[in-house]
Amino acid sequence: MKRAWLVVTMVLLMPFCAHATPVRIGSKQFTESVILGEMARLAARQQGMPVAHQRELGGTAILWSALQHGDIDAYPEYTGTLTHELLKNVAPDADIPTLRAALKPLGVGITDSLGFDDTYAIGMREDRAAQLGIRRLSDLAAHPEVRLGFSNEFMARGDGWPGLRQRYGMPQTQVRGLDHALSYRALASGAVDAIDLYSTDAEIPYYRLRTLDDDRHYFPHYEAVFVYRLDLEHRSPAFVDVLKKLTGRISADAMRQLNAMVKLHGEKETLAAADFLGVQPDGDGANLWGRLWRRTLEHLRLVLISLTAAVVIAIPLGVRAARTKRLGHLIMALSGVLQTIPSLAMFVFMIPFFGIGTWPAIAALFLYSLLPIVRNTYAGLTGIPPDLRESAAALGLPRGVRLRRVELPMAIRSILAGIKTAAVINVGTATLGALIGAGGYGQPIVTGIRLDDTGLILEGAIPAACMALVVQGLFEGVERWLTPRGMRLEARQ
Amino acid sequence: MPTTPNASPEAFELRGVSKRYGAIAALDNVSLRFPTGGNTALIGSSGSGKSTLLRVLLGLEWPDSGEIRVDGAVLEPAHVLALRRRVGYVIQEGGLFPHLTALGNLALLPHHLGWSRDRIRQRAEELATLTHLPPGALERYPAELSGGQRQRVALMRGLMLNPDALLMDEPLGALDPIVRHELQDELKAIFDQLGKTVIVVTHDMAEAAWFADRLVLMRNGKVVQDGRLDDFCQRPADPFVTRFVRAQRTLRGVSS
Repeated sequence: MKRAWLVVTMVLLMPFCAHATPVRIGSKQFTESVILGEMARLAARQQGMPVAHQRELGGTAILWSALQHGDIDAYPEYTGTLTHELLKNVAPDADIPTLRAALKPLGVGITDSLGFDDTYAIGMREDRAAQLGIRRLSDLAAHPEVRLGFSNEFMARGDGWPGLRQRYGMPQTQVRGLDHALSYRALASGAVDAIDLYSTDAEIPYYRLRTLDDDRHYFPHYEAVFVYRLDLEHRSPAFVDVLKKLTGRISADAMRQLNAMVKLHGEKETLAAADFLGVQPDGDGANLWGRLWRRTLEHLRLVLISLTAAVVIAIPLGVRAARTKRLGHLIMALSGVLQTIPSLAMFVFMIPFFGIGTWPAIAALFLYSLLPIVRNTYAGLTGIPPDLRESAAALGLPRGVRLRRVELPMAIRSILAGIKTAAVINVGTATLGALIGAGGYGQPIVTGIRLDDTGLILEGAIPAACMALVVQGLFEGVERWLTPRGMRLEARQ
Repeated sequence: MPTTPNASPEAFELRGVSKRYGAIAALDNVSLRFPTGGNTALIGSSGSGKSTLLRVLLGLEWPDSGEIRVDGAVLEPAHVLALRRRVGYVIQEGGLFPHLTALGNLALLPHHLGWSRDRIRQRAEELATLTHLPPGALERYPAELSGGQRQRVALMRGLMLNPDALLMDEPLGALDPIVRHELQDELKAIFDQLGKTVIVVTHDMAEAAWFADRLVLMRNGKVVQDGRLDDFCQRPADPFVTRFVRAQRTLRGVSS
């Protein structure tokens, strides 16, 4: 059984080891970033350079740390994000040369502006804004009843809501965190009155929104640029040239149109980027089944490796916990604390140790899988009646033999139930891995949420649900097979 | 042990043994000798310390003070496994492992010690005859056996390695009166036939007197009286002895 696991693990690892491309571009989890990433990839391909694009890697923090760790070589960024979020000791309105000097010691280079400024703005439905007579941000101060819905990133970052509230003295108390991809729908349906948006968002004309005038000049410039690792200038100077050639070419209007192509007309980012560059798009070539198969392999790899590692570590931990009371409390408390860390945060925490991609996702899933197995091993072992445990000891069997021949077989049901719980949780949580570049069923879900495309969401959600059901069924079979017959009988009186 | 010629005449001995669980003294400065080949019944109410006494003899508990001697040598943790293999231990309800068949339960220790499958089966069948276990019961799981059969298998498990001594903690406590009566007869016959050192813990005076010539009455971790049934009736050491004997006698009078 152990050997079978090992073989499966090795087979699943192989494709991972085989992958290694010279230059990797990353992009954040929103359409514009993905289009820009594709644009860089296609422009490089045009020059005969093979470049990989890791799409939709979650938020700024993930991309920035991936860049610094060398998991990606370049990604599209905005100057305002650099000044406010990523660099300390830089003036909020620093220009690009200043930023270039500040980034150099970090080993990071920056291109000139790509040609447009994608700054934050606050938008309201035209009719609602007219009804309340709001044109400028300072008008909001007089309307505490306005309900705000902000993207989670905007809520948290220094140049987002906290600063905005202070600058304009905003009295609103109804502030909700929303996924940016969902916030337009929330606004359109009247669930909130105002949201944060980007000035190049395709939805502004589509939803008939009014962007409020930033009359106190709170929002900084968010010039679009590429940031890249400076070592690229030696490793692949031609690619740096490609990035530089993209500068100054994309106007805000052009960007809004590209965004609209993808978000409103359902075109692929690759197509939009290729259209803009005037080159042939290169579809990913795979049909639905091909994609599904690839994602299934990616997802299985995440689940199997993390679960196997968890089983190997958690069962001995559970045995230890059951043996020593104080250590037991400590182990249970620690694995309990791990479980309370929000899953997305857990994935992000792993990036400094493992970079982005498969391994941090596996590490996070591994940590999540520990508790159910440790707890059930502990419960299974401590649930053995004391007189039975003592009978085993009184026979004169050494401790190891007692554990193997008596205690573990009696606890096997509970242990397997723990592994089953861990596996099912694992299959679900693994979908988040897509946000840090691990692929799997989460990829279409992430894209689907971003593009508001239910079909795409289901393309990830249905297989994930099926896999969870299969895993559940599989473990029930294993449970029946491994539970000794004597344990399934009701005692005769 | 008793088979070696220069062995100590005492199979087990307690010297000033005390064991506390929190505020409760399970054993309070107990000194007792159990001669090789003799049958002893430990009696007393629940909580009197009689089960603890058995368990310290096997190293399942360690005394807070005092010492245990086995065949004249002080018991140390390093010798516990070897000791347990030379002593059969049977508890109330039998303590059989539910995931193993009766034979699987019997085979656990011999298998670990490298006995062949045939040797294990042969010994098991020998003991099945001795304990009147019906044929076929060896292949069943504990849950498929009756209470009496479970107790027989537990006894067999204790006897697998032909131990020198047999310690039994309320071996018949969980059985209904008819099965219990039947097994009392059989156990007595087996004790007489095997001639091993036997210590039986029970709270039933009649059963104690049936199994053993020597009775030891315990109360609150102390030995109250150590002697024959006659002594208990004619020369009680303490009014408690009389009360204990009376309580049992009344019951016996009703039932027989």
